[in-house]
Amino acid sequence: MILLEVTSPGSSVSLVLFFGTIGMLALTIGLIVFIIFHQRKVIRYQLRLQRMEQDQQKLLLNASIRLQEEERQRIAADLHDDAGPLLATARLYLNENLVNLDKTTQLQSIYNAKSIIDDTIQLIRNISHSLMPPTLKNFGLESAVNDLFQKISGSGSMNASSRFHDYRERLQSENELIIFRVIQELVNNILKHSNASFIHLTQNTSGNKFFIRLHHDGRGITQNDFNKLNKSNVGLGLKNIQSRLKVLHGKIFFEKDMSQTYYKVTIELVKEEEDKLQEQE
Amino acid sequence: MLPLISVFSGVLPMIFYVCFLNRNKQGGFWVIFLYCLISFLTDNVHHELRDRSYVFYLNSSFTICEFGLFTLFIYLSLKNKPFKFFTLIGVVLFLVIALINLLNGSGGTIFDSLSASAESILLIIFSIFFLYEQLTDPTVIYVYYLKNFWVVLAILLYFASTLFLFIYAATLTKQEYNNYWSINNVFNILKNILFSVAFLMKKSDKAHHSLDTAYADMQ
Repeated sequence: MILLEVTSPGSSVSLVLFFGTIGMLALTIGLIVFIIFHQRKVIRYQLRLQRMEQDQQKLLLNASIRLQEEERQRIAADLHDDAGPLLATARLYLNENLVNLDKTTQLQSIYNAKSIIDDTIQLIRNISHSLMPPTLKNFGLESAVNDLFQKISGSGSMNASSRFHDYRERLQSENELIIFRVIQELVNNILKHSNASFIHLTQNTSGNKFFIRLHHDGRGITQNDFNKLNKSNVGLGLKNIQSRLKVLHGKIFFEKDMSQTYYKVTIELVKEEEDKLQEQE
Repeated sequence: MLPLISVFSGVLPMIFYVCFLNRNKQGGFWVIFLYCLISFLTDNVHHELRDRSYVFYLNSSFTICEFGLFTLFIYLSLKNKPFKFFTLIGVVLFLVIALINLLNGSGGTIFDSLSASAESILLIIFSIFFLYEQLTDPTVIYVYYLKNFWVVLAILLYFASTLFLFIYAATLTKQEYNNYWSINNVFNILKNILFSVAFLMKKSDKAHHSLDTAYADMQ
């Protein structure tokens, strides 16, 4: 009926009305369909992001577990290969036949056993220090980093220096340890892979941000390399750095210096995060 | 037959509202119930009136009432403050147009074309505000699990479909008017069905549930 009315000659109003209504209806249905499909698309996108984040977290977790296991194996090897034989040797010197030996041999055996026990004590102290550096615990991050850099410089293979510009208030001890481990890992990487002749570390603050910057003149990596290594199965140390910094809500940037001569690594932490963590505790 | 079905289809959402009162207590659905009641009564009174000028004034009053109730419902459903503000500006604009239309009188027609057209345009815009808000709200996963969505969909479909009819209603001949009014009847029935769907629906958590469950549903 409506169609007949529309197709009758001379009814331009009817034509506009008919097609206008059809057009509006089509637009409305199109709008609703668009909203429903758009929402589904957004959900899929968000899910993909969530999955990627989960995969990344899984990689970090695996890296952290592997590192923990490696550390345990190292401690076990140190104890088994070094402390074990030393103590066994000391036991040999102090065996049951000792009482039957002459006085001079007895004294020699006791002296040897004492010397071996001293070595064992030193060895265990070294293991303990590698787990928790006493300088860091007692004197803070600045002293521990200076100590570490002095040892590197003392070895003669590389010139290492550090300078803390604004570290009057110490961070929480747990956070200092995390930052120290990150610095250790970075320095270790530089020593192993970069072939650099110097490392220079600076610390400063800007507003509520805390920065640590490392410069070296060897071969380094850029942010793109870091991101790629973080997503791959290699680069365990870098994943460890990332997972440690995640605890502090910190960021790390790898870049080449403006002069294209040096590589620069910047660790950025928000001091408010530190305060919040303190409040939570 | 169609006009009769159209008038009595208005009873359907009212029955569902009363039957499932607990589901519809919150969210301003009483506004839609009130609208259905007023619409049903007006349609019945409409048939009894013989004087054309009375019909015009009845139509005009109903348009104002209809616009007020639908706008109130959308206003209550909106969260975005600028949208709420624009809705209030729209109300003022509509009241000015409706008052001018009322003061000018019927002019021999029974339908208040100007105010009904303004009402349609404004309600389409308000409905788009609501849909846009749902589209940009990250907590809304499935918009069609929202009861409000079905009400707004009914409003949008009805006024989009009848917009051109309302614009041209004053210029149509009686024969054309009777022929084309079936568009209004068809979409009025559809509107009442969608209101019934909204009243029938349970308040679902699926509209706002987690992404994991959304993914499971999508598989």
